Amino acid sequence: MDANMKETLLKPIFKGNPITVLVLGICSSLAVTVQLQGALVMALSVIIVTGLSSFVVSLLRNTIPNRIRIIVQLVVVAMMVILVDQVLKAFAYSVSKTLSVYIGLIITNCIVMGRIEAFALGNKPIPSLLDGLANGAGYGLILVVVAFVRELLGSGTIFGLRVIPQFIYDAGYVNNGLMILPPMALILLGCVIWIQRSIQKDLQEK
Amino acid sequence: MNTNSNTYTVVYSTILVMVVAAVLAFAASSLKSRQDDNVKAETISKIITAAGLYEDGCDAKTVYSQNLVEAFLVDAAGEPVGKLAEGEVKVTSDLKAENDNIKAGKSVKLPVYKFNVNNEVITVLPCYGAGLWGPIWGYVALKPDMNTIAGVVFDHKGETPGLGAKIATEPWFREQFAGKQIAKNGEVVAVSIIKGGAPKGDINAVDAISGATITSQALDATLKIWLGQYKEYIAKCAQPAGEDCCEDECECETSENQED
Repeated sequence: MDANMKETLLKPIFKGNPITVLVLGICSSLAVTVQLQGALVMALSVIIVTGLSSFVVSLLRNTIPNRIRIIVQLVVVAMMVILVDQVLKAFAYSVSKTLSVYIGLIITNCIVMGRIEAFALGNKPIPSLLDGLANGAGYGLILVVVAFVRELLGSGTIFGLRVIPQFIYDAGYVNNGLMILPPMALILLGCVIWIQRSIQKDLQEK
Repeated sequence: MNTNSNTYTVVYSTILVMVVAAVLAFAASSLKSRQDDNVKAETISKIITAAGLYEDGCDAKTVYSQNLVEAFLVDAAGEPVGKLAEGEVKVTSDLKAENDNIKAGKSVKLPVYKFNVNNEVITVLPCYGAGLWGPIWGYVALKPDMNTIAGVVFDHKGETPGLGAKIATEPWFREQFAGKQIAKNGEVVAVSIIKGGAPKGDINAVDAISGATITSQALDATLKIWLGQYKEYIAKCAQPAGEDCCEDECECETSENQED
């Protein structure tokens, strides 16, 4: 794998993370991070949608009439989102119910359209696929980190399994109800961005 | 080729849309049976939850078929008009169709599920109506006297999370229905959901959810309409608590309709 490919794959995971650096896709990351299971399925769905739509748009990039470019991209993204939604309804019904409208709303996730506009329209299909997958993964990574903290402190569980033992509750510990509410996701996201910026000094504004 | 000409744009978008439509139509039709199974399984787990049979991790379908005494359809006059095949339930879309019939004043075929729960026959009746943002529905389980509520379960399509959505998620809301009665002086009046709190000791009323006025009112109306549709059937079956249920009487009526 040449250096270019590697950069395409790795940059969105940390250095150019779509949530923490580009600050895209915030609204769904607030909504679906109460529990790890939902966050993980959402992450996988977004990875698939960003990867495949970037790939398809890149394949079509030389044929797309410029005036209806955005509409063509939307049609492709919408198709992918509906496919993912249908597959989830068939194979993971309970998860699809918890994620409810948010799967459908992947279409409005700025990461998908953002990467298509910024990358897939000007690059070959394989790098576009990788770029899409990597950006989805960068989004998913943050989702899982936030969901891990929220589920652990908010419900005392990980993937629905109790991890905080009973004797701690007996000693007076209580789950933090605020963790379950969306504002806490925003605060946690702020903390993640803070940590990243203190590691990666070039992101700090002068 | 000039990709910016009008003809090219029109032809391109037409072909694109046709291809996408074909892909989606294929996906939807090939996944349909699995999706329907999921919807059915969920309906079954709701029904047995109302009946008090659901336990975490249990296999809803097995519990359903093991404890089911019978499942059949009745009309507004309380006469049995058909039987449900084994394992068949009326899912939300069926309830919607019946709700349309009720509103249009047409004849209805409403499902009744009877379970044997700890040697008591529990009757589960559905309800369906319009909430604030979308449909709401639920199941009411009645004790053998066909008056006292054994349990309820509600669900919704898209009520406001944290407000109206609480009809499905808040245990206190569901639990306050248990032990309430749907009849007053022999008339089916359903259970009123009262904003600001039900009067103490009112056997026909429960508290509404604060901040969810419209959903609460919608659920109140839904229960009144649907239990009202069942009132003839309930009257036929109602027997004082403790005695053997209407079972025999209903059963022979249904078996007349049944050839095998």
